[in-house]
Amino acid sequence: MPRAVRGLLIECDPSIKAMILKYDEERHDYIVEDLDDENHLVIKESQLQNLKVRLDQDLDEKIMQLEESESE
Amino acid sequence: MRFGLSEAAWCGRFACRTSDIIIVLHSSAFDWTSCVAPVTVMATATSRPFEYLQSLPGVTLRKLYQQPSTALAIFRRMLPDLAKCFVMALLYLQGPFPQDDLETWVKSESKKQRDDAIDILKRLSILTHPNPVIDKVIEEKTEREQGGKQKKTVRLPAYQVTKEFARSLQQALMGSENSHSFGVFSQGPDQTPVSIADLDDYARRQWEGVLGYMVGTDALGGLREVKLSNGVKQLLQAGHLVEIRDRRVDITKDGFGFVLQDVNTQVWHILILYVESAEAIGMDSVEVLSFLFLLSSLELGQSYEKRHLNEVQLRTLADLSDFGIVYQDNPDAPCFYPTRLSTTLTSDSVALSNPVAGSITGPIGTSSGGSTGFIIIETNYRLYAYTSSPLQISLISLFTNLKYRFTNLVTGKITRQSVRRAIEMGITAEQIISYLLTHAHPQMRKHNATYSTSNASGIPPSVLPPTVTDQIRLWQLERDRLRATSGFLFKDFSAFNEYLAPCQHAAEIGVLVWKSDRRRMFFVTEHKQVAEFLRSQNRPQ
Repeated sequence: MPRAVRGLLIECDPSIKAMILKYDEERHDYIVEDLDDENHLVIKESQLQNLKVRLDQDLDEKIMQLEESESE
Repeated sequence: MRFGLSEAAWCGRFACRTSDIIIVLHSSAFDWTSCVAPVTVMATATSRPFEYLQSLPGVTLRKLYQQPSTALAIFRRMLPDLAKCFVMALLYLQGPFPQDDLETWVKSESKKQRDDAIDILKRLSILTHPNPVIDKVIEEKTEREQGGKQKKTVRLPAYQVTKEFARSLQQALMGSENSHSFGVFSQGPDQTPVSIADLDDYARRQWEGVLGYMVGTDALGGLREVKLSNGVKQLLQAGHLVEIRDRRVDITKDGFGFVLQDVNTQVWHILILYVESAEAIGMDSVEVLSFLFLLSSLELGQSYEKRHLNEVQLRTLADLSDFGIVYQDNPDAPCFYPTRLSTTLTSDSVALSNPVAGSITGPIGTSSGGSTGFIIIETNYRLYAYTSSPLQISLISLFTNLKYRFTNLVTGKITRQSVRRAIEMGITAEQIISYLLTHAHPQMRKHNATYSTSNASGIPPSVLPPTVTDQIRLWQLERDRLRATSGFLFKDFSAFNEYLAPCQHAAEIGVLVWKSDRRRMFFVTEHKQVAEFLRSQNRPQ
């Protein structure tokens, strides 16, 4: 019998998806359905804000930034 | 004297209503069974008031329509052309008009426009809903009794214009109303008549004051102080156009989008916020809204009596003068003047030459009209803005690191930090780019036009350096690493065929976002129709 589940379809890079999967491993509180392709998954609607904040934090730490030169 | 005045007003009103009258003549001739459907073009810049009206319940709408000025304004400004035709054709009919007959007016290839028009009319409660029915007696020959006829009554669906709307629009068109629905001119000479130029100046100053407050011009030492009442500030805050953090005014994402819109859209946005908040301060929102429509039907440069206005209307009037939408000498003045901001609400003419585009408070003078671009961006992200307007400078400083300021020029650089800062405030990359594009200096347009004709690679010419626009987008993408779509995942289909049909159905009605044939799953934004489809499929088995 087919079912319909409420959720948020997330479209992202494989790297981001890997991070979300890692977050979910801790307490299984993000993912509704892993859609088994490289860049899609369905998560709980209530977790979006939380997820975004967490991603932003981690990305800021991990990604190397070019130093901005303000020389004129 | 009085007659002369009001007759002049009528001429004025009719002059701007010629298109409507032509429709009246057409419909009275009534032979457009072969009529080609006019292309349905929504009047521009009305989406917001239109959306708001649509969200109102039918009872409220019908209450609104009791004012002829409201009915006329909605008819003129909110309806697509085809819907206007329908209304005019049905307006003077005594009873309901059969649906089938109306459908023959429109060619079959324009069926979509017809349905859209009817749909809009129903949603605005201009056509009665549910459809009335009329009984039609059909004589049909029966086979048994040869030559004999049998009378049969069929109930046909029909259309009818809502009673309230019909009466008000008829009154507005024929001028038989005497309910002060279009305002009452001041009697006798005004002590200090206000010229149209003064009114424009007043409206511009007040409106720019509002915009300036939003983007925080004060910090840069605005040249002209406009005193904004607390009501205005509260309204902007309630509408989430600004946020107050630590007593500092911060523009929001909505606010930034708002500042970049044309004035007419801005005014409507504010007015709808005002109507929405009216209930909270104990005013009837219907009454406020219908007063706004009254204001929109007034004539620029005329003064109007306040005597006939009731409590709510007087209060609205006082609040609106803070925005520059109406003008009165002082709160107790016996009369008021509408400004261009209000008289253009329901017409197609431009409210003010866009204060954002024009040179605003600059000492150089008034805007020359037309394109008034003043921003130059180089491929190295340096930005030069030839402006002295505090409003513009603070807008630019939202996403640029400004470095130097001269009398008529500011320069700076768009950096990752400055764009990130803007994006954290909720401003999008597209908003920044569209702002830069709108205000690009004519020299940039010229330069890039000549440049693009010389390269034959087929890349469309871009006014802004593509490196800069791409980089702004990339800076945004850094923050925006995922795209979320709210909706429903359909899964657990036992067979591929069972999966395929609803999935295709979802694609047809345009709600499908993602699907996987292999896993027999698909994601839709709207589940009701798909669920119904599934049920209807299962039933016959």
